[in-house]
Amino acid sequence: MKPYRQIAGGLVAMYLGTGMALAAPLKFGIIDTLSGPQSSTGQLYRNAMRFVVDHINSNGGWNGEPVQLLEYDNQGGPAGAADKLKAAISDGVQIVGQGASSAISAQISEDVRKYNMRNPGKEVVFINMGGDALELTGEKCHFHHFRVSGNAPVKIKAMVLTMKEEGVLGTKVYSINQNYSWGQDMEQAIVDAASFGGYAVVEKTLHDTNKIQDFSPYVAKIAASKAETVMTGNWSNDLLLLMKASKAAGLKVRFGAVFLDQPGNIANAGEVALGHYIAHTFNAEHASPESEKFVKDFTAKMGHFPQFIEPQGTWGMMLVAEALKNVKAEKGVLNVNTLAKTLETTKIKSPLGEMSMRAADHQAQLPFAVSVVSKAAKYKQDGTDMGFKLLKVYRAEEIASPVQASCRMQRPN
Amino acid sequence: MKPVHILLLGIVLALLALPSFLTPGLVNAAIQMLIAALFASAYYLLCGQAGMLSFGHAAYFGMGAFATIHAMNAIGGTGLLPTPLMPLAGAIGGGAFGFFAGYFSTKRTGTYFAMITLAIAELVHALAPHLKALFGGEAGVSATRMPAWGFTFGSTNEVYYLTLAWVALCLTLLYLYTRTPLGRLTLGLRENTHRLRFLGYNTHGLAICVFVVSAMFSGVAGGLLVVSNEAANYVLFDAHLSASVVLNTYIGGVRVFLGPILGASLMTFFGYAVSDLTQSWLLYQGALFVLVMMYMPNGLAGLFGQIGQWRSRFGLAALIPFVLLALGAGLLVGGGGAFAIEMLQRFLSQDYQALASANAAGTWPPIRLFKHDWSPAAPGTWLVPATLLTAGAGLAVLARQWLRRLVQREESNRAAAEASVPGDAA
Amino acid sequence: MDWLLVSVMNGVVYGLLLFMVSAGLTLIFGMMGVLNFAHASFYMLGAYFAFSLQARIGFWGAILVAPIIVGAVGVVVERYFLRRVHQYGHAHELLLTFGLSFMIAELVKLFYGNYPVNYRIPGSLDFAAFAVGGLDYPAYRVLMGGVAMAMFVLIYLLLTRTRVGIIVRSAIYKPRMAEALGHNVPLVFMGVFGVGAALAGLAGAVAGAFYTTNPNMALELGVMVFVVVVVGGLGSLGGAMLASILIGTITSLSVGIDASLSDLFALFGARQWAEGVGGLLTLKVSSTAGTIPFALMLLILLVRPHGLLGEKG
Repeated sequence: MKPYRQIAGGLVAMYLGTGMALAAPLKFGIIDTLSGPQSSTGQLYRNAMRFVVDHINSNGGWNGEPVQLLEYDNQGGPAGAADKLKAAISDGVQIVGQGASSAISAQISEDVRKYNMRNPGKEVVFINMGGDALELTGEKCHFHHFRVSGNAPVKIKAMVLTMKEEGVLGTKVYSINQNYSWGQDMEQAIVDAASFGGYAVVEKTLHDTNKIQDFSPYVAKIAASKAETVMTGNWSNDLLLLMKASKAAGLKVRFGAVFLDQPGNIANAGEVALGHYIAHTFNAEHASPESEKFVKDFTAKMGHFPQFIEPQGTWGMMLVAEALKNVKAEKGVLNVNTLAKTLETTKIKSPLGEMSMRAADHQAQLPFAVSVVSKAAKYKQDGTDMGFKLLKVYRAEEIASPVQASCRMQRPN
Repeated sequence: MKPVHILLLGIVLALLALPSFLTPGLVNAAIQMLIAALFASAYYLLCGQAGMLSFGHAAYFGMGAFATIHAMNAIGGTGLLPTPLMPLAGAIGGGAFGFFAGYFSTKRTGTYFAMITLAIAELVHALAPHLKALFGGEAGVSATRMPAWGFTFGSTNEVYYLTLAWVALCLTLLYLYTRTPLGRLTLGLRENTHRLRFLGYNTHGLAICVFVVSAMFSGVAGGLLVVSNEAANYVLFDAHLSASVVLNTYIGGVRVFLGPILGASLMTFFGYAVSDLTQSWLLYQGALFVLVMMYMPNGLAGLFGQIGQWRSRFGLAALIPFVLLALGAGLLVGGGGAFAIEMLQRFLSQDYQALASANAAGTWPPIRLFKHDWSPAAPGTWLVPATLLTAGAGLAVLARQWLRRLVQREESNRAAAEASVPGDAA
Repeated sequence: MDWLLVSVMNGVVYGLLLFMVSAGLTLIFGMMGVLNFAHASFYMLGAYFAFSLQARIGFWGAILVAPIIVGAVGVVVERYFLRRVHQYGHAHELLLTFGLSFMIAELVKLFYGNYPVNYRIPGSLDFAAFAVGGLDYPAYRVLMGGVAMAMFVLIYLLLTRTRVGIIVRSAIYKPRMAEALGHNVPLVFMGVFGVGAALAGLAGAVAGAFYTTNPNMALELGVMVFVVVVVGGLGSLGGAMLASILIGTITSLSVGIDASLSDLFALFGARQWAEGVGGLLTLKVSSTAGTIPFALMLLILLVRPHGLLGEKG
């Protein structure tokens, strides 16, 4: 009897041993634009993911092991992203993050959906940190896609409310945007916000994306429309050139621009930028212990205070990190469906306030800050004497946009 | 069987066995390499054989891709054709647009031809995002591969074999094309159009024909990409793709049929392997291209041809030291250059500069590279690339001297041989 | 009406900027028969060098010195790169410049970072020259236009009224003959290449402060410069001038036109049909501002391949 038991004990030990060996570390992957013309934004999303992965590991990792971050360069296009997603899945990545460009987000989201359909039991989840096109949480929404950033209606609502309160909005608003899904979403949001903003949209313009050198013709159009405020979702060069051209023409308008805080913008625009408004997910001068700690930790690690899309990437991933705390390993590995279900009910306290995931369309509900460019700001941007002065913080529910009717999410049983 | 045939057979067998050795990620890289090889080969027909330098070949690749994706989505998602035949739609799409564009562009030659192709491609690229019904706007169009002929086409391996079959078929057809009378005439188009016209050939019609064939096979390549990715986006029309096919073709060698195939496969793999390792991979790609243009005008294939020629001239034993020296020089210079660039890139990055200026002690924090910490202030750090580069340059000089000695020896041997056979001259 | 006036003036100034960059390109093509893909990179280098120098020697110094450095870079490119591959033919020369443009863009990113740099016009130049229709017209725009005009007149006089100009033109027209007559044609080539690069550098130094100085600026302008050179006629300085202003004005004006082809059909009572067809027919002119130059280039190439004022066919 005794030897038999020993053998059985040995077998159990062996089984446990193989079980331990199976417990490969949990892998995060970032598939973003890390080289080429648009790499500046992708590299900031990478900063965010590095920061969160370090954070998870300094708190003991997951399932007793440190988690890993694998980095993939999608070479700036959806085709490259499709390739790198396959590479990532084959490397064992289970949580995929990306943020720069809605086109790439759409590709990854669709590929993830198809892969999960074909490979039940081996699912991966896509955490969209900044592909803001509405269709991703609308007709293209699915169970394994989560957007942790805002979207056009939310950003516009926050900005319009503050500008109205400050009495700077006026009654005539000009909408100028880039002619693709994001710009079109913005235009719609600006038109929709007219009712509670108490303004009329005097003219709407959609222009080519990052191709135009000289914005003065558009400025002439804005001047002719007698608009008091210009609202735009433009980013990168399109925003800079627009502001510079309006300054050069002596145009007296106020800008509401959601990507004003892209690094380099303020330095390049100079005094032109003063007095313009922005809605963003974080402002480093927000006075709370959480914010101060976040700014301190982030600066120590990255060399600069969190700005532009870094906070939204970071806190989006923090939401995932929080959900992971409540998910137990099954046979040493992560069950992605369990994680997705947990994520739907996860809440965290982000520096600006409570942040949660809406189960109906997987659009994160997050607080927003509205700031104005000012010399009185505490954190100066790009080595200039200007920065973003925090005006107001909105709780998520104050500015939330409704679930789109076009989202019909299929859930696994 | 000739050695070339054995080599080809070996390559085909290796390609067939490939998926059982590789991870799915690498199998997917292999798919991309095959597609790039086909695209480059189609481009070679136009550029290498007919001598027409096109700067907008992405247009035909993209049209093939969109034709395929719409064929896949046709009839309520069931598809116009069974999945394995889908690239045919790409061939038709690419060919049809190629006919339209080729009709106009082949009216001109040389730089003007290149500029027309560029203008057409840019026009399509600028218009495509506005035509949402056709090209799906910024988000693009997506589709799903349907099971057909007993295969599900759900796994990467099945897609790999499908791609391999198509690429093998198309490359064979392209090769056979060069053997037809039409293929010989294509060379005439490059060498002397005037003479061809004097001989009574309709050169414009001929040029259109070559253009359409090239566009058609580019369309197949685009179709294969769509079958693999299940999505198409207007970014496919980007000048970047047009540029990369030119680079691949010339790096591989524009004078030999296998050259572009070699170049495209290698550069695609290079991009796959290196782009995740460094931010500056485009710099390496550009530098590689400039070096090839300056020192290897006939590309990699030309290099192999040259080595083969030297081997028969000097013998293998005499050549091996040269090859080793040259290889060593290349590795050292490459390593030194890469070290210097990576070090500079890390040192100059804004984040590092910010960290350094935040450092109260006023010293430079170490930089991590190749699993070591380097201090940018220490001369030793910069001595490493300097040493590598100097050593590489030294080896290159030695290699050159060796080659010169071989040539001298050959000449003196020949002189001796001529001297030892006196009777003939007299 | 004010809008029209402002748009035309803006278009002309933007066109003059295009001319500054394309002047060198068209001269180099006329001379060597090679389209220099790296030319717009010289424009970018001019802006970045001026940005670096501005802090040390002031704005005006930077504007003067930056083009000289860019010109030197151009000389190096011609002497040590292009001349080397000349023997392999035009295709190789063209592709070499193509590879160089990649490298220059990546090196700029390496040294200056991915973001736009803080290069702005000095406060002393930041004032309004006059006002049209309630909008200020910036003095710096007038300055940019003035620099371009001065450059055009200078080059034109240099080429047509001086001995050097005669040699350069003869080297462009019949290089072998000029060489046989004892002129150092390679030196002329190097000189013209350097001057062409310096002109692009000057354009970059002047315009970089007004627009933005970023690593993509060569890419953004590069294609447009090709359009100008082709439309104007390869090798023709006057053609480049004409085409620049034409393209500048057209893009500037098209922005303000919200009409589409369906409006044209409406004249014949077929608007509903046109809107039903959709696609191209309902595309607004204003949203295709970036497309029009390419359509124009295609049209010119098909109808009049040697360009508006070009001579070589």
